[in-house]
Amino acid sequence: MSVTRRDFLIGSAALAAGTAVTAPFLLPKYHSDQRPKRSRVAILHAQQYSQELDQLLAVGLRLFPINVTGKTVVLKPNLVDYIPGNAINTHPLLVLAAAESFRRLGAKSVLVAEGPGHQRDTQLVLLQSGYEQYLRDEKIRFVDLNRDQLVRTPLRASYTGMKDFWLPRTVLEADFLVSMPKIKAHHWSGVTLSMKNMFGVVPGARYGWPKNILHWKGIQESILDLCATVPVRFVIADGIVAMEGNGPLNGTPRPLGKIVLADDPVAADATCARLMGFHPDRVGHIREGSRFLGNASPMLIEQIGETVNPPTRPFQVVPEFQHLYAL
Amino acid sequence: MPTVTTDAIALSNVLAELALRQLPCGGWAALASSSQPAIEPTCYAALALGSAPVGDIERAQDFLLRTQNPNGSWPVVPGDDQEGGWVTSLAVIALRDLVPAIPARLQGLHWLLNCSGKESNWFWKWKFRTADRHVRFDPDKYGWPWFPDTVSWVVPTSFAILALNQLPCSCGGLERIPVRVDCGIRMLFDRACPGGGWNAGNGVVYGCPMAPHVDDTAIALLALSDRGQDPVVQSAVQYLERVATTLRAPWSLAWSILALAAHRRPIAPLHGSLLELSDLSRTEDTGTLALACLALDYSRALSAFGVTV
Repeated sequence: MSVTRRDFLIGSAALAAGTAVTAPFLLPKYHSDQRPKRSRVAILHAQQYSQELDQLLAVGLRLFPINVTGKTVVLKPNLVDYIPGNAINTHPLLVLAAAESFRRLGAKSVLVAEGPGHQRDTQLVLLQSGYEQYLRDEKIRFVDLNRDQLVRTPLRASYTGMKDFWLPRTVLEADFLVSMPKIKAHHWSGVTLSMKNMFGVVPGARYGWPKNILHWKGIQESILDLCATVPVRFVIADGIVAMEGNGPLNGTPRPLGKIVLADDPVAADATCARLMGFHPDRVGHIREGSRFLGNASPMLIEQIGETVNPPTRPFQVVPEFQHLYAL
Repeated sequence: MPTVTTDAIALSNVLAELALRQLPCGGWAALASSSQPAIEPTCYAALALGSAPVGDIERAQDFLLRTQNPNGSWPVVPGDDQEGGWVTSLAVIALRDLVPAIPARLQGLHWLLNCSGKESNWFWKWKFRTADRHVRFDPDKYGWPWFPDTVSWVVPTSFAILALNQLPCSCGGLERIPVRVDCGIRMLFDRACPGGGWNAGNGVVYGCPMAPHVDDTAIALLALSDRGQDPVVQSAVQYLERVATTLRAPWSLAWSILALAAHRRPIAPLHGSLLELSDLSRTEDTGTLALACLALDYSRALSAFGVTV
């Protein structure tokens, strides 16, 4: 069979067009593979919030080879809004216990930083949720990330298609960023755990309350871009009383009795998802995050402390996320 | 009960602190620990300083004029993308007494007129009517977004209404102002919380009524100060009166004072609560500090926002 010059040109053009269309889908959307070879997760048992949490956390942190000596540690809790009786926020006693533990481990300074996603009056949320008094008593500095100094920061992944984000200086300059989520079901993203908790570093002063642009650019995509750009060094997840159903604000409190510690946010979130009765691979940002941010496979997670036992009754979710349930 | 004298002393103390925080560029940073000027706290501070004998109001106004984007909007901070955002309304309000700023204000108003929530587009209207119905709202009633290409929210809509209402006449290409303002007002009414007041943007999400926020409610009430007879407004005022007496957070307290004063409700106890906040001058958040000044001098503040009582 002979190929004419015309056939060759048409074939070449078709090949070029096909490559142009498919290449963006085949190329990775992250700049670098940040996965550790193995990750470590510890599940601690805690039935209630009490002053003893700092002892428990101190024991838990010793299970990890953490070196924070001389470093600035930033604790990023999930502090969204306050509705009496709803388990919305990371409990302040757990945050205090973490601050005390990192101080004992030799941190140069420990501060708490958050940019509430719904409330413009950060001080009101701090007062209502009990944080204000605790932080004052323990002389722990709080930084309002919604109004912190802004730094234009190139993104290290391109899931949203955005090139950069204005991010708070306090977070960018942290030596050791700890994500401290509340374990919750979420009506837009399925779950909100250590990775979704990073929405709180996006400054409301620049992106609004709530940070609506992240929804328009895709919640799962925004989580991936943020976590690629602002590395979470450690996770302390509050699952003592979690939330199921219509989270993140109006769900039902769900006593889980667990604190999850991890040196990898993807491993932390995969473990939390399993504790909620979900299949982690069915949560978009966990599945995609396991390609470059961390490990979701149990084979790559060293499980210490308690074992991962799925609950007898999985966490309730809104109808759109029924597919999260493990088979 | 605070007296006029204690009010005046407190006000002068807070104003002095505010003046100290003015940056060499003329603007103010959002936090006392920051040196990055930002438009929002600068606008509140400029309104608070007004004719006060402290601070340099001219440098503040000059800073605002220098930072305007070519398209008439204002950025959140100098150096931000030039597409502009919600602070445009605040800048237009903050420059209201400056005659040389009239062209800049008109440009800002034109930008506001051409900016609307994404739900104003036919495609998104259709999507919100058919496929995306978890948030209960009428997409025909739209206001202003925090930033272009997102949907309408209560605070940017309220500030836009306040800014647009300051124009004495609708002329020179601004004839659409009454229609746009009316649409924004209808959006606020549509998105009120079922129990009274406003949350950030919607009253019902996933079938669940949202709890109102103090500052969102207060700012919406400022924008609706001439709608006091409407049941939605009355319900919001009642909510605010109920909750304001329990507040110890100066930002929410200050907005509550302004809103309740605009609706001719007694505010003396709230003034007292604000004055009792012993560390008011040490407030890290400069916007809050400026708002406290505005609340302590509420008559002048309401006039600056274009609200007549």
